[in-house]
Parts: sequence; C-alpha cells; structure tokens
Amino acid sequence: MDSSSADSFNIRDFLRLDMFPHFLCPGCGHGIAMRALLWAIYELEIPKDKLAIVSGIGCSGRIGAYIDANTFHVTHGRPLSFASGLALARPDLNVIVITGDGDCLAIGGNHMIHACRRNLNMTCMMLNNEVYGMTGGQASPTTSEARYTTTSQSGCIEPVFDACALATAAGASFVGREVTIHLPDLKDLLRQGLAHKGFSFIEVLSDCTEVFGRKNNLGESPEMILSQKSRMRPSSYGSVDGNIVDEPFRANTLPTGILSRNERPEYGDTYRKHAADIRALKSGK
Amino acid sequence: MCPGLFGKLYCRHSELSDTAESKLMDSIEKKTLNVDSMTPSDPMNVLIVGVGGQGVIMVSKVLATMCQLQGHTVKQSEVHGMAKRGGTVFSHVRFGTQVWSPTIPKGKADIILALEWAEGLRWINYLDKNNGTFIADTQHIVPPFACLNRKRGALTGYKTHLPGEVLDYVHVGYALDATAIASEIGNYRVSNTVLLGTLSTVLDFPLDLWRRVIGESVPPKTIDLNLKAFEAGRRWAEEARKNGMAPDQSPVIVPDDQPQPEEDNFELVLTLEWCKGCDICVKVCPERCLILNSEHKVELTNADLCTGCRICEWLCPDFAIDVIKTPHEPQTGMSR
Ligand code: SF4
Ligand code: SF4
Ligand code: SF4
Repeated sequence: MDSSSADSFNIRDFLRLDMFPHFLCPGCGHGIAMRALLWAIYELEIPKDKLAIVSGIGCSGRIGAYIDANTFHVTHGRPLSFASGLALARPDLNVIVITGDGDCLAIGGNHMIHACRRNLNMTCMMLNNEVYGMTGGQASPTTSEARYTTTSQSGCIEPVFDACALATAAGASFVGREVTIHLPDLKDLLRQGLAHKGFSFIEVLSDCTEVFGRKNNLGESPEMILSQKSRMRPSSYGSVDGNIVDEPFRANTLPTGILSRNERPEYGDTYRKHAADIRALKSGK
Repeated sequence: MCPGLFGKLYCRHSELSDTAESKLMDSIEKKTLNVDSMTPSDPMNVLIVGVGGQGVIMVSKVLATMCQLQGHTVKQSEVHGMAKRGGTVFSHVRFGTQVWSPTIPKGKADIILALEWAEGLRWINYLDKNNGTFIADTQHIVPPFACLNRKRGALTGYKTHLPGEVLDYVHVGYALDATAIASEIGNYRVSNTVLLGTLSTVLDFPLDLWRRVIGESVPPKTIDLNLKAFEAGRRWAEEARKNGMAPDQSPVIVPDDQPQPEEDNFELVLTLEWCKGCDICVKVCPERCLILNSEHKVELTNADLCTGCRICEWLCPDFAIDVIKTPHEPQTGMSR
C-alpha cells in the first residue's frame, strides 16, 4: 500500500463541482470507489484531455457524470462496446469503463466476454453491489444465494457468477478484485490496472446500503463497510505472479488483489499492424 | 564450559554514522581482550528473550534437551502465555551439577540470547557484567504499544542503543542480523536457529548432538532449512572471531542524538452541504473524534485528538471531509 501522494491529492480537482452533492444514497460504496479511481488517475498524471470515461446504466454508471473529464454515458450493458470503438479509433486515450454487476454481467455479459477476449487496451471497473440498486433492488447475476431482493422474496436460489474467474477465462490480461474499505489498496490496484497494456478487469466489492443492505438486514452503512473485512482474504495469500496459491481458510471469503496477469498481445496493436501490412501489400502491387 | 570468549563486540550489517562508529571504536579500545578469562559458572545461566512468534520456546527447548543429554541437571522456566504475537517472551535455562531455583537472578546470566534487539537491551541487567556473553539479532520488531502517539511523524517509544553502546554492560557481544541471514537462506523465520548456531560456538557441546536435537525439534519439512540456518549462525560467529569486529558492518540504528522530527499538523475541513449523515466516518475514526450532530451532519468534537490518518476522508462516500496537512502550527477544525 502506497499512500505517499495522499497529501497532495485533492479530489475536488477531478469533480464537476456544480453537480454536487451527488445523487448516491447515504453511505453508498460507489462514492468510495470513485475516490480510488480518481486518486489512481492523479497518481498516473493522466491529463484530463486524454481521459475517456465510458459508463453504462445504473447507480454505478451515474458516477461517470460527476468526473471532470471526457465522459460518455451510454446504453445499458454496452459501455464496453462503445469503449472498444473508442479505444480502437483513439489509441492515445486512456479509456476507462465504469459499470455495475447487472450492467456488465447480465445485460452486457456478451459484450464483456468479447472485450476480455480481444484484450483491447482499456480498464473496466465493475462495481459489484450484488443488486440492481437504481431500478428498485432486483436480483443480479452476483446476488449471493439466500439473499433477499425484490425479485427473490424468499431468498435468491440462483448460483452467482464469479466475475473475476469469468474475465480470466475469457482472456482479460489483468484481473483483480478489491473492497472499498481498503481504499489505498484499491487505488493501487486500479493504478496498476490503468498502467497495464491490455484489458484490465477490476471488480470492486461495493455496498448498496439503502436497497440491498436494508432488505437483508446487513446493518447501517458503517456496519456494512466494516463487515467487508471479514468477507475478504488479503492478496498476500496469492503468489507473487498473481496466481492463487491457497484455498480460502474461511468459507464465504473471496481473494483480493491481482488475481491474474499476463502480457499477451493487445488487440489495437495487432489490428493496426495488420492494417499496415495489408496497406503495404496493396500499394506494393 | 565456555571456550574462547572475546572481550569484543562482533557485529554485522550496513553502515554506521561517523559519530556512532568512532564511539564504537572508542569503547572497543577501552576494553582489553580477555580471551578465556571467563570462569565457567555452575550452574550455567542462559536467558533467552524475544517477542511472541519468533521461536524463543523452541530455542530454549533445544538447549534444555542438549543439556539433559549431556548429563546436566536442567531447569527451564518460561513466560509466554500473555504474549500474543508481538508481546514479550522469555525463558530461563539453568544447567549444571545441581540447580535449585528455576529462575536466574539479576546480573547472573552467563549468556543472553536475544531474538530481538530491544528485548535484549531490556534484559541486559540480568547479564553478568564481567563474564556475560550477549548474543542478539539486530532486527527491530516495534510493538504496537510503542506507537501510542499515532500522529504522523511522531516518535515511537521504541528506543534502541547502538551495539557499541552496550559494550559497557557485556563482556562479549555478538550482534548479527540473523533475520537477514535467515532470509538469505530462504525463510526469515529460521532466524532463531541462526542464533542457535552462534550460541553453539560458545557452549561446549558436541556438534552432531546439536544437529540431532534441532532435527528432532523442528517440523520435519523444515529440518534442512533449520540445519542450514544453524550452520550459517556458526559460520558467522567463527568468521566474526577470525576477522575481529567489522565497524563498517554494523546495524543501522537511529542514534538518540539525531534531530527529532516534528509532528505533522492536520486540519479537518468539512463540507457540510455534501454530508449525508451516513455515519461511516464516525464509526471508522480510530480516535473517535467525529460525531453526527442533531442535524445529522458530521462534526469534529476534539481537534487535538485527530491524528490526520485520513481514514474518514478516504471512506466518506460523499467527499465531505478533507484532511489538509498544515505547516507546523496546530489548528482546530473548521467548516466551510
Ligand atoms: S441504490 Fe444502492 S447502489 Fe444505488 S446509490 Fe443507493 S445505495 Fe448505492
Ligand atoms: S462519512 Fe461523509 S457523508 Fe457520511 S457522515 Fe461522515 S462526512 Fe457525512
Ligand atoms: S483524520 Fe479523520 S479518521 Fe483520522 S483521526 Fe482525524 S478525524 Fe479521525
């Protein structure tokens, strides 16, 4: 964990101040994730002009609107598709996708696996709060079993998606997970994801306090965020190269940190090289 | 019982500041070499100290077993129950033809084996000033209670002396970075066995017996590692004796006379229009200096308590708290 830039980072430099206070419910973890993302951007000294933030629909998608940069609020489930076009056309931009569990895994599930497969240079921050918060608390693909939602009134019986395992299997070259309470760690993870050349998928375990927390009697905002500690396993239990080396020692805990990482070819590079080759071939004729 | 002992301090690692080095040299020169001057005592008293989790008990069990196998009467007593990881642990080992009391009187320990530097210093008054041997790892493990002032830049209560500065209290001293040696071998945790290796060079026990007892006292998977560590500790002591002290290789310990760093000051700026009263900052502040007021907005109750740790700033989902580092003049919290 590195927090040496904490003294100089001022989040207000990155916000559209006239839109504040933001619309998120009191204690919603998405605000904390947003701070981590902006802090990582600050540390990497990415100019705002070179920043393109694409977000989908949902509470998670809304946070893009508060960031003072090039932001693009698009249709439900498709931020990765819009971002793919953007990253291909403008390789000079740092493309960041902010999406939620429902947006990314349900409506946009198809787009997500193909974005991972192509390995285009962009960073996808998926805020996982286990529920469709904005639309009234329906069950999402990551709603844990036995949790109550408006569409699982007697407890959810569907198995969940492990988004990180899915991203790894689909080919994302950088996959990580972190919780909001470990904010400096989350910032470090996002920074590494942003600096990685290729598709970085980062799952942030966030809290929906008003809808999910209330329905499941998980306590008030402080209790919810503090309980993240008991549900998580720190990354130090993984090996240096990011592979998981041990089994969880407690049931219901998830590993955090960098879960997998490789340096396979970035699609934009491959595409441009291919196009140049063809062009050369044609002009040679 | 104790062969060739040296009125010297052997140490290893990194650089010493100039002043510290000359101090060390001065104090070394004041001492005359008294090789073999130590009269073996009966019973022989070995005090093993360290902090929880380092393996003090394992070391003392090995030693006690060795003594037993050599036909001595042995008494070993230890205090460990209160020491969770990081707390102080010590063990008295006394052996000889007849041992009455299980504990070592002050000033009567023939050997102190310290697995942690400051623990060694804490117990140094137990060492026999004229004949005692002091063997210590120079690694520092700073306990949480040494950091009661949590303000950034504040001094910890963990004070240390340079190896040279303890010379007046010890007849022979070995200060080695056993933890670094152990890490080189493959696992910092075998630093206790490295120290056993050094200890074995000052006790008159057969080498193969040491190896056998260590092999029987450690988990089977780690026998090789521990034996390597044991050899490394022996080799270190033998080389140190051969080369004499190496002043350019002493532990980096901050000398006491260095300028004291100033504590940082922080100001808490609260943006009340943004606060939604979620209570997170109130519950996560380690100093408990935030509350929600009657309007359900955050309020700083005691600015003096705030250490500027930024946890409230980081975890406020509404960016309503800014912790601002200010020049060295304490200020109270204010709202904007
Ligand atoms: S509904 Fe849930 S996820 Fe959406 S803003 Fe409120 S707490 Fe956050
Ligand atoms: S964490 Fe932020 S929003 Fe919540 S009570 Fe504290 S200052 Fe207000
Ligand atoms: S910075 Fe915030 S959390 Fe830390 S002590 Fe001060 S008020 Fe408490």
